[in-house]
Amino acid sequence: MRFAFVLGELGSGLRRNLAMVISIVLVTFISLTFVGAAGLLQLQINQMKGYWYDRVQVAVFLCVDNSTSPSCATGPVTDDQRDEIQTILESESFSEYVSTVEYESQDEALGHFQDQFANSPIVDSVTADQLPESFRVNLVDPEKYEVINEAFSSTPGVDVVSDQRELLERLFTYMNVASAIALTIAGVMLLCAVLLVATTIRLSAFSRRRETGIMRLVGASKAVIQLPFVLEGVIAAVVGGLLATGTLWAVAHFALNGVLAEMYPETAFISSTEVLLLAPLLIGLGGVLAGVSSLLTLRRYLRV
Amino acid sequence: MIRFDAVTKVYSNNSRPALDAVSLEVDRAEFVFLVGASGSGKSTFIRLVLKEDRVSRGAVYVAGQNVANIPSWRVPKLRRGIGVVFQDFRLLPNKTVFANVAFAMQVIGKSRAVIRETVPDVLQTVGLEGKNNRMPHELSGGEQQRVAIARAIVNKPGILLADEPTGNLDPTTSMGIMKVLDRINSNGTTVVMATHDDDIVNTMRKRVVELRNGSVVRDDAQGIYIGETEVLAQ
Ligand SMILES: Nc1ncnc2c1ncn2[C@@H]1O[C@H](COP(=O)(O)OP(=O)(O)O)[C@@H](O)[C@H]1O
Ligand SMILES: [Mg+2]
Repeated sequence: MRFAFVLGELGSGLRRNLAMVISIVLVTFISLTFVGAAGLLQLQINQMKGYWYDRVQVAVFLCVDNSTSPSCATGPVTDDQRDEIQTILESESFSEYVSTVEYESQDEALGHFQDQFANSPIVDSVTADQLPESFRVNLVDPEKYEVINEAFSSTPGVDVVSDQRELLERLFTYMNVASAIALTIAGVMLLCAVLLVATTIRLSAFSRRRETGIMRLVGASKAVIQLPFVLEGVIAAVVGGLLATGTLWAVAHFALNGVLAEMYPETAFISSTEVLLLAPLLIGLGGVLAGVSSLLTLRRYLRV
Repeated sequence: MIRFDAVTKVYSNNSRPALDAVSLEVDRAEFVFLVGASGSGKSTFIRLVLKEDRVSRGAVYVAGQNVANIPSWRVPKLRRGIGVVFQDFRLLPNKTVFANVAFAMQVIGKSRAVIRETVPDVLQTVGLEGKNNRMPHELSGGEQQRVAIARAIVNKPGILLADEPTGNLDPTTSMGIMKVLDRINSNGTTVVMATHDDDIVNTMRKRVVELRNGSVVRDDAQGIYIGETEVLAQ
């Protein structure tokens, strides 16, 4: 009976404050979407780290015709230079750092290039002699790129030593910045949501002060008096959380795994089920913030 | 049932006490008029019984318990044992007579079956049979006060506090309300009624406690009360 009563009061409260309740739903929806976006970016970064850190290589590019670095002053790499470099890479003194060395010829480089840009018109204009041959070096510890760089960057016949990991790190930096921005926006929006809940609950308590006054006098417990108000805020926030989850799921499902995954088949994108792992967090965050905000407001504005 | 032990209530530091060392005992099933001019401390007395305010000095006992020692989570239980009615009825305007009375039972978790059984009985006690489905604005003032009384007693409290319940009513209607309160009292409920309506006090011939500036100046069994208007007229 008490439960039914609380539900009834809750229903009438939601109806009476419909516009405010809808604004709580929308504000929590937007803010939790940003929170979730930041979370998804972090998941994506972790996923890519896990995938790529095993695969990233240091590429030792060898000189071609139009290389400009000082170590290429003698023109394209000679067979002797190439053998010399390979010998050093595979020597005893580097085995501590280097796990495997693969040679990639100009033709193989062209093949990879054509795979990577299969849909792009530049493929047709590139020929094998424009692409440098290289040694692809897998490191025991991917952090030890500098060792290879120092040893080879000025060796005759080597154009540049490039660390794929650095490219990834740059990408991760961008993604981290994006997720920090999303979190900042989320923080501001969540603050709005908390204040909006407080205002709504205050109005709601004010418009029902007659009822609550009588409830107090006839000895209704604090819980029965406060619960309908708290639930009003919490339910609105939880609905916002559900909408945010739905939106993030749709983004992961259609945008990431649909469109982007097709454009970048090499990249491992997070799956839409991972959004569902985030869902309880988002919904819980919304619910707890709304609940705490309502309780604090009621403590000030509703005598029990 | 209610005992005030040298109770002083000061609202703000530099004002005179609303109640000044009031000692008073009201027995079970007694009917007491609390009389006095406006501002003499009647409403303050009632608020202290309900633990709506804290005493500044002294102690208030309800059913043998010092209300100062009741933790806040137990205060609802204290209030379930006390019914209250006010001059302004305080009905819920969008609920029927039945729903207004039932509200007091719903909020403390009474079952629907018990409510359906109890409310009509109580409405009969206060003389409102057949008006279950009226809205408050379709009732006279006296009828609205009867609804308020029904709501106050529906949970069978041991004490009924009435703060100027006839203050908004004409003399004839007021007498009707007094009959209802008298009937409730004769069923064993302790009734404390604050009023400054001397006609009513003098007709009922009950115990009269008179407050003046927060002090008890008179406590007569079957007393009378001469209000300010009469004093001025004499
Ligand atoms: N909440 C309050 N804050 C400050 N003073 C109050 C408050 N309530 C009552 N008073 C003062 O206490 C005194 C007694 O008031 P009250 O108990 O309402 O008297 P009565 O009900 O007999 O008219 C009055 O002087 C009144 O101004
Ligand atoms: Mg008063």
